[in-house]
Amino acid sequence: MKPTRIGKGWCGILRKAAVVWVTAGMLLFAFEHPVFAAQPIKVGVLTFLSGRLKPIGDEIVTGIQTAVKMQGPVLGRPIELVLEDSLVNAQVAVTKGTKLVQRNRVVAILGTSTLEALALLPVADRLRVPIITSNSGSAVITGEKCNYWVFQTNPTPQMAVAAMRHLISQNPKLRTAKWFTLGHDYPWSRRVARSVKIVKGVTYVGETFAPLDTTDWAPFIAKVRSAGATAVVIPVTLGTPLVQFIQQANEFGLTKEAVLVAPIGLPDWLIAKLGKLSTSIMSAGAWSAWRLEDRQPVTRKFNELYFKMHGRVAGMQAIQAGTAAQMLFAAIEEAQSLNGDAIIKALETIDILTPAGRLHFQPNGRMAEVPLILGRIERLKEPKYGAKFAQSVEILSSSETLLPAKQLGCKLKK
Amino acid sequence: MDWNFLFVNTLNGIIYGSFLALISLGLSLVFGLGRVVNFAHGVLYALGAYFFILFLPRIGWTAMVVAPLVVVPIAIAMERLTIYPIRDRPEIYTLLVTFGLSFMITGAIEYLWGTETTLIKPPALFEGTISIAGNQYPVYRLFAAALSLGVTGLVFGIVQFTPIGLRIRAITDDSGMAEALGINTKWLLTMVFGGAAGLAAFAGAIGAPIFAVDPEMGMGVIIDSFLAVILGGLGHLPGTAVGAFIVALAKSIGGGYIAEWSIAILFLVVAAVLVLRPKGVFGRGRIA
Repeated sequence: MKPTRIGKGWCGILRKAAVVWVTAGMLLFAFEHPVFAAQPIKVGVLTFLSGRLKPIGDEIVTGIQTAVKMQGPVLGRPIELVLEDSLVNAQVAVTKGTKLVQRNRVVAILGTSTLEALALLPVADRLRVPIITSNSGSAVITGEKCNYWVFQTNPTPQMAVAAMRHLISQNPKLRTAKWFTLGHDYPWSRRVARSVKIVKGVTYVGETFAPLDTTDWAPFIAKVRSAGATAVVIPVTLGTPLVQFIQQANEFGLTKEAVLVAPIGLPDWLIAKLGKLSTSIMSAGAWSAWRLEDRQPVTRKFNELYFKMHGRVAGMQAIQAGTAAQMLFAAIEEAQSLNGDAIIKALETIDILTPAGRLHFQPNGRMAEVPLILGRIERLKEPKYGAKFAQSVEILSSSETLLPAKQLGCKLKK
Repeated sequence: MDWNFLFVNTLNGIIYGSFLALISLGLSLVFGLGRVVNFAHGVLYALGAYFFILFLPRIGWTAMVVAPLVVVPIAIAMERLTIYPIRDRPEIYTLLVTFGLSFMITGAIEYLWGTETTLIKPPALFEGTISIAGNQYPVYRLFAAALSLGVTGLVFGIVQFTPIGLRIRAITDDSGMAEALGINTKWLLTMVFGGAAGLAAFAGAIGAPIFAVDPEMGMGVIIDSFLAVILGGLGHLPGTAVGAFIVALAKSIGGGYIAEWSIAILFLVVAAVLVLRPKGVFGRGRIA
C-alpha cells in the first residue's frame, strides 16, 4: 500500500517560504555586511586636534566633514575620514602621516597646516598619496620646495602681500595714511612690512617686531603712538596673541587713532570672539569669506549645510578645508580611480566651483588659482548663521597676486 | 631723545613690574621655605583667572577676591598629596613633580573650560583712559598696579611684622635650626604654598581684563617670574620684588627701543647676575 502523503500542499508552501526567507536573509546580509557592501574610501585628516591651536583644527575638520556630506558617495562609495592629531609637532606629523597611509590605507591626506605640510614634504615621495593643504602660511610649499604630491588651496603669504599693496593703492584714505608695522618677530612679518614700504607714495613711519611670547603689548603700542601712525598693519599670530593685542590696542585707545590692517584677514571664530572690537580691523587678504555666498550658490549651499551640521558660521579655514576636500573628490571622480598618480593627473586638470570660488591648480605648479578677499569687518544688519560681525567682500583675482609656478621657483619632479 | 616715550615705557614697566612682583613673591617664598622650585606656580595663576571668569557673572567683581580663596585649598591639597611625601628628597624631585602638575592642571583647565581665549572687560568704573603728562593711559592698568602694590606691601608686612612672618624668616634663614627650635616647618610650608598660590591666583584675576584668559597664560608669566626670583636672589623677598621691576623695565623699555633684542639682553643680564652675583642683586639669596 502506497503511503498517503498527508498535507503535501502545506509542506510545499512551507518549503518555498523557507527558501524565500533564507534567500532574502542572505541578500540582506550581503548588502549590510561590510565584506559585501561598498567599501568606504578612506581619506586622512592630519591637523591640530588638541592644545592651543585646537580651534583651528576644529574649523578644518568641520569644513571637511561638511564637504563629505555635500559630496555624497564618490565612485559610488562612501567617504570615511580618518582623523589624526599632529600635536603641533613636526615629528609627530610625519609619524601620523605615515600611519595614515601605511596602516589606514588612506587615498589622500587633507587638513594640514604649515607645520604638517612642511613636515610631510620630504616624505611625500615615499607616501605616494596626494596631500592637499588648505591652511599653510609658507611660500616654499608651492615654491622652491614644491612636490609632485603636495597641493595647496589657500593663498600664499606672497599673494597676501600683493593683496595688501592692492588694498593700499585702491584706498585713498590708506594711501595718505602714516603706516606702521607692528608684528611678531618672524620672517613673514618683515616681508609684510617690506610690502607696505614699497608701495608708491606711502608714508612709512616705523616698525617694531615683538617677541613671539609677548603678552603685554603696551611698549609696542607706545611706539606706534609715538610715531603718530594712522594705519597699522598687524602681522601678529592668529589666535590668543592677536586677541590680546587687539584688546590692549583698544584699551590704550589705539583703535580710535588708527586703522588696524590684518594682512591675512581674521578667522570668523576670532571675529566672534572680538565682537565689536573686530570692526576696527580691515582685512587685506582673507583666504575666503562666507559672504561670498551672495555671489556664489555653491558657497551658500556649503554655508547652510555647515550651519546645519555644526551650528555656527563657516570660517575661512573651514571653507578652505572644504574646498580642498571638494577638489580631491572631483579629482577621484575624474580619474575614476583611487590610484595616487591617476588622482594627481586629475587634480592637475580639473576646474570646478568650490565654496572658495571657481578653482583650478596653476599650470606646472601646485598652487590653486584662488582669489583673496579684502574689506573691513563690519556689523551685520541681521545676524546670520549665528554671526553678528563679518568681513565685507571685495574679491581680488589670483591673476593680480599669483606669479607663474616657474617664477615661484617650483620645478616639479616626479 | 624722546623723553615722553621713555616716560610712557617706564610707566608701562612699573605697571607690569608691580603685577610681576605679586606673582614672583609666592615663587620666592615657596623656594625660600622648602627649596621647592614650583613650576606649577604659573598654572595656579591661570587657575585664578579661570575661577574669576567662572564667578564673575554670578557675584560680580567680588570674584576677584573669591577666586584666589578657591585656589588656596586646591594648592594646599596639591602640596599635601604630591610635594609633602617627597619633601626630604633632592630638589629635582619636586621640580619634576611640579613640572608634571603644571601640564596636568593645564589639561584639566582645557577639559573644563575649553581651549579658547576669553576676553574680559574691566569694570565700568575703571574703563577708558586718563591723561598722564599728556599721554592717554588705561585707568584699569593703574588700578591693577595699585592693587598689586598694595597686596605686595601687605605680604612684606606679614613677613616682617607678624609671628608667622618671624617663623617664615627663620626657616628661610636656617630651616634645620628653626626645626630644632620647635617650628613645624612642614606645616608652615603647606600653608605658605597655599598662600603663594593665592597670590598667583589673585594676580591671574586682576590680570584677566588686561591679558585675556587662556589655558596656557601661565607659561609666559612663569618665565618672567623665575627671572625675577633669580635676579633678586632665591628666597629673598625684597630682592625678588626688585628683580620683578628689573625684568619688567627691561622688557618694557627694551621692547620700546630695541624690541628684537630686548629678550636677549634680559637673559644676558640674568646670566651675568648668575655668574657675578649668584646670590642675587642684594647678595642675600640662596644658591640652589
